[in-house]
Amino acid sequence: MTAKHDSPDERVAQIIGRWASYGRSGLLPCLQEIQSLTGWLSPEICQQVAEGLRVPLADVYGVITFYGLLYDKPVGRVVIRLCDDIACFINGSGDILRATQEYLGIQPGETTPDGMFTLEVHPCLGHCDIAPFMLINDQPVGPVRPEDVPEILEQARRAVEVKDT
Amino acid sequence: MYEPILLRRVGRIHPTRLSDYETNDGYRALRRALTWRPEHIVQLIKESALVGRGGAAFPTGIKWESVAKQPVTPKYIVCNADESEPGTFKDRVLMENDPFAIVEAITIAGYAVGAEKGYIYVRGEYSKAYDTLATAVAAAREAGYLGSHILGSDFSFDIELRRGAGAYVCGEETALFESIEGKRGWPRQKPPFPTEAGLFGKPTVINNVETFANIPWILLNGANWFRSLGPDGSAGPKLYCVSGAVNRPGVYEAPMNITLRELIEEKSQGLPDGRSLQAVLIGGAAGTFVGPEHLDVEMSFQGLSAIGASLGSGAVMVIDDGTNMWDILRRIARFFAHESCGKCFPCRYGTQRQREIVERMANGTVRENDLERLVDLWATMRDASLCGLGQTAGNAIESGLRLMGVLTT
Amino acid sequence: MSEEKPTVHMTIDGHSVAVPAGTTVLEAADALGIYIPRLCHHPHLTDNALCRLCVVEWEGARTLVPACVAKVREGAVVHTHSERVLRARRTILELLFSAADLSDTPEIVAYAQTIGVNPERFADGERIEHPIYDDNPFYIRDYNKCIMCNRCVQACGNDMQFTYALTVGGRGFHTHVDTFFHRPLPDTSCVFCGNCVAVCPTGALVGKTEIEMAITGEENHGH
Repeated sequence: MTAKHDSPDERVAQIIGRWASYGRSGLLPCLQEIQSLTGWLSPEICQQVAEGLRVPLADVYGVITFYGLLYDKPVGRVVIRLCDDIACFINGSGDILRATQEYLGIQPGETTPDGMFTLEVHPCLGHCDIAPFMLINDQPVGPVRPEDVPEILEQARRAVEVKDT
Repeated sequence: MYEPILLRRVGRIHPTRLSDYETNDGYRALRRALTWRPEHIVQLIKESALVGRGGAAFPTGIKWESVAKQPVTPKYIVCNADESEPGTFKDRVLMENDPFAIVEAITIAGYAVGAEKGYIYVRGEYSKAYDTLATAVAAAREAGYLGSHILGSDFSFDIELRRGAGAYVCGEETALFESIEGKRGWPRQKPPFPTEAGLFGKPTVINNVETFANIPWILLNGANWFRSLGPDGSAGPKLYCVSGAVNRPGVYEAPMNITLRELIEEKSQGLPDGRSLQAVLIGGAAGTFVGPEHLDVEMSFQGLSAIGASLGSGAVMVIDDGTNMWDILRRIARFFAHESCGKCFPCRYGTQRQREIVERMANGTVRENDLERLVDLWATMRDASLCGLGQTAGNAIESGLRLMGVLTT
Repeated sequence: MSEEKPTVHMTIDGHSVAVPAGTTVLEAADALGIYIPRLCHHPHLTDNALCRLCVVEWEGARTLVPACVAKVREGAVVHTHSERVLRARRTILELLFSAADLSDTPEIVAYAQTIGVNPERFADGERIEHPIYDDNPFYIRDYNKCIMCNRCVQACGNDMQFTYALTVGGRGFHTHVDTFFHRPLPDTSCVFCGNCVAVCPTGALVGKTEIEMAITGEENHGH
């Protein structure tokens, strides 16, 4: 059980504790749960997971580098996953991408200097019925109009700031 | 007028309210199943002629029978909810709006083949679907529809949810098993097939979300009824995902004698004003393009096969005349290069080289040997790749270039 | 006393074979003296059937079948050098030449010539430049020669050493052998057993003694 006042380290240890009995087959859910807390999976965290679940250290790393939603480097507090695949493209994702790049001043794959936003172009997100579509962390947003982009992002920033206080 | 079956409750019930589900035929099928012998259920599914709805169209009853006959235990049921084929969103709609149907169907499968554990593997980007299913599973457990001695029977079964982590290849059944087992999503060589050695090396039934959604109705209404829905060879209702340049994109349910024209012009209310049809991509990035001359094709397995296309996941992406086809092809090539798992040589290198050549052609620079190299890449990936991703990676590009008149042989 | 396996009869390139059940097509072909090229297969390692060079045409099968894992079956008819097979093999090798340095894999280079491979066919494609890793006293890693056959990873792991210092990182074209967060080998669980070097088919992993001897022209005195 995690308590709100537990330190991040304690919470990570608790998560590992819960998945330990699964061994290797607990690896992905364990990493996913930790990452939802810490944003990314550092070498130190990987070491703890490897020990707790008895998975070879190198394999923990190899697994993380395979999956597009697992990060071995820090990412922004808000990860924007913007779809630019077929249905979204036909419905104007190019304009959404441009608006987002302009507003944040970053290219896909980059993080804003204040560490708030990471922008990613993501393969088809399965929301072609509400194209053009993007995920703001795990929040679905669509259909998006270019003029909506600043407010969508500011809302996301405010949500993070509220969480921090 | 066709009355939806799979989408019957979608938008009409509170998705995670069990009483809503029960009042609308929910869990009647499981109750009935538990009064039958498991073999009877397998036989029923065989007779229904239901085939998989994830794209491979393998006869579901035969799959279940293979697992039922295995002497090895434990056995597993896996629901493939990794829906990642571009243009496909039917499973998402089912999971978000009628999650108990999936849970009930998986439980019936467990009873039919002798499994006590099921997994639902939901693509990582579908948080809402995952949370909805989690709530439904918890409610089902609390009500005694999951757990030990379900509804007072000798049958015990439970379900564990797993999240994907951003890899299209994990929709391939053996890669999905690897992922649950805590490894990189590298597909396994088949044989052995999942029915013999699947998840954790044990006999496994793995089916798509939509395939499972059909199961309770087959139990309630029978095999003859199911076969009567649709033309011979394409039994049962199908969910079509129409998107792209249409006025009303969405999931549409129909028997498979519906035509492409009806899907686009009637169900999706046609193309926006001023735009006309250039091509339709059927089956997602792994599918094929058809031109306007094929609008009256029957959207069944045999109807599409007759024109050199295939249904795949049921994704129907409408491309208008204002779109540059090269922009579509370069995205498909980018998709496969990004999603190739990298295990086997033909796909690891082939999808990369395909992408480079298509990009360059799209930018206007064509080299003399580009087409002939692509043709060899397609044949090699189709014939020698380790899994279906590589095997289909060239399909859309090839059919697209043919449609554009760039490839004429 | 071992159980006798039933004999399986099938045809490879028109020749009849009769071998114990459980034999792979590759083994059966080798016994017949029919050469099927291979890169990821190693007699002491689990077959992963990932290089796909050993694919053969199996009458009735939809796709080509990797001989290293396909078990012989009664009555099967297999062709190891049909046009469909040669086309796939040629293309795979042409792709390989465009992505890796095969200068220390002479038997594959020689085989490629016999089937009309054009090593330059995909030379206009991207090629990933790897630095040469010289981070320990025992061996050098030159991943420009790596074909990602997975042998070293298996040798370090489940197939031989159970040390697990090596893993596979990345995906697709960017798949590569790696250590935990790229750490130099001395900072990993590597015990310098040399099994990975012994199984590497392309010379991407080379023992330093071997290199020094090559430079000085000394013969290998059984080290």
